Amino acid sequence: MMTDLSEKEGIRIGKENIEFRRLLMETPGAERIMLCYQCGVCTADCPVALRVKEFRPRRIARLAVLGQKERLLEGDTLWLCAGCYTCYERCPEKVRVSEIISALRKLALKEGIIHPTFKALMKSIAEMGYIYEIGDFQNEMREDEDLPQAPEPEVKEIEAIMRKTGFLDLVEGC
Amino acid sequence: MKFAFFVGCTTLARLWGYEIATRRTAEKLGVELVDMPGSGCCGTTYLETLDHITALAIAARNICIAEEMGLDIVTVCNGCTEVLTKANKELKKDPELREKVNEVLAEVGRRFEGTVEVKHILRMLKEDIGLEKIGEAVARPLKGLRVGAHYGCHLLKPSDVMMFDDPEVPTTLDELIDITGAESIQYPNKLECCTGPIMGVREDVTWAVGLEKVETVKKYADIMVTSCPFCYLTYERCQLVQESSPDVPVVHYPQLLGLALGIDYKELGFDNNRIDASAILEFMED
Ligand code: SF4
Ligand code: SF4
Repeated sequence: MMTDLSEKEGIRIGKENIEFRRLLMETPGAERIMLCYQCGVCTADCPVALRVKEFRPRRIARLAVLGQKERLLEGDTLWLCAGCYTCYERCPEKVRVSEIISALRKLALKEGIIHPTFKALMKSIAEMGYIYEIGDFQNEMREDEDLPQAPEPEVKEIEAIMRKTGFLDLVEGC
Repeated sequence: MKFAFFVGCTTLARLWGYEIATRRTAEKLGVELVDMPGSGCCGTTYLETLDHITALAIAARNICIAEEMGLDIVTVCNGCTEVLTKANKELKKDPELREKVNEVLAEVGRRFEGTVEVKHILRMLKEDIGLEKIGEAVARPLKGLRVGAHYGCHLLKPSDVMMFDDPEVPTTLDELIDITGAESIQYPNKLECCTGPIMGVREDVTWAVGLEKVETVKKYADIMVTSCPFCYLTYERCQLVQESSPDVPVVHYPQLLGLALGIDYKELGFDNNRIDASAILEFMED
C-alpha cells in the first residue's frame, strides 16, 4: 500500500508532532532538517521519484519538519529510497533526504515497523551470515568452476553481534 | 602486490563468472588475492539505515579479519565497498564510536584497530597498478568494441566518504575500458542508479529503470559493462523478464580486461552471463 502524502486533509501540528521532530533531529543524519527551503532538487533528481509519483523526497523533508509521524511511517514511503545518494550530493543545504529517510527508518524500527523484505534480509544475515544461502549446492558449483569454497562466515559471531546491540530482538519483534 | 579478497554475498552465491574473471585477471597482473577465512556479509547498505552500531560492528568484524591478515581489502561490489569504507573511516576517525563498537566486538573476541584500507577493484587497478602498466599488459586490444559503462552509485557516493573520482563526472571506468582498446561511449543518464535496492519493494520500478538504460545503451554501444554485482543483476534480469529481450550483453569489467590481457574467453566465466556475450570475440585481434 502506498502512503497518501497529499495534504488534502490538512496538517495539524500538535505537541506530539513537535516531540517527534525533536526525536528525529536527535537521530544522526536528520540534524539539519530545519534548513530545508523546499527547493525541490531532491525530488527533481531522484530516480525513484521520476517513476513513482507517491514518492516525493521534498515532501518527506517538509513532513519531517512538521513532525508528521503517521504520514511518514505509513505504507512503503520510507522503503522506496534506493539509497543512491543523488539527493545527498546535490542538496544545496546539506539537508540530505537520504539521511532523513535513514533516520526515519531507525525510528520506525523502534515503533515495530520494518518492510518485510528488509526484515527477511536481516534475518538471513543473522541465520546464515550471508544474504543468500551459500551451502553445499553453491560450493559444489564453485568446485566445478575451480573456485575455492566460500568462506564459512562464523554465523555465531554475526548473530551474537546483532543480539548484543538489541537489533535482532527489535527486528524479530516487528 | 597482495590483498585480502572480500568477494561479497551476491558474487559468491550467484556470479561466479565475476569472481573467476577477477581472480584470473588479478593473477595475470601479478596481484595476489587472498581469501578471508570467517568473513561473511558486509552488513548491506540496508542495515546501515536501520541501526548504526550494528552496521558498524558487522562491517568491522570483516575488517578485523583483514587486519589479522595484515592486508588491505579489495572488493568487487559497490555496496560492500561503501559499507566497509564508511565503517572503516568512521571508526578510525572517532575514538568514542570505536570504543562503543569494540565493546560489541569484544563479545566475539575481536577488536578493530584501524590498520587497513578498503578499496574497490577499479580503484586498485587505477591507483595501485596504474593505467600505464595495464596498458602495457594488453595483448589483444578489443578494437572497435563500443561499451556503455555503468558506474553505479556507491563506488563514488557519498563522495565525502568514498573520496574517489568525481561523483558527477567520473572517468575511472571509462579510462579502464579505453585501455583495453575498446571505446567507452557517452550516453544520456549514464550516472543514473539501477535502483536494484528497491527490487524487493517495487520490482516493476527496478525493471523499468533497468530497461530504460539498457535500451539507451543499445542505441550507442555493443555491450554494457558494470563494476557491481547488484547493478549487473538488475541490467541482466530486467532484460530476461521481457517477452522479447533487447539482448544487450552485460559484462563484468574484469571479464573485459581479462580478454584484452590475452586470457581465453572460456577462462573468464562467460558461461555464467545469461545474455550471450560471445559477440565480443568478433572484435578481438589475433
Ligand atoms: S534539495 Fe535539500 S533544501 Fe532542497 S528541497 Fe530537498 S532537502 Fe530541501
Ligand atoms: S537517495 Fe533515495 S531519495 Fe535520494 S535521490 Fe536516491 S532514491 Fe531518491
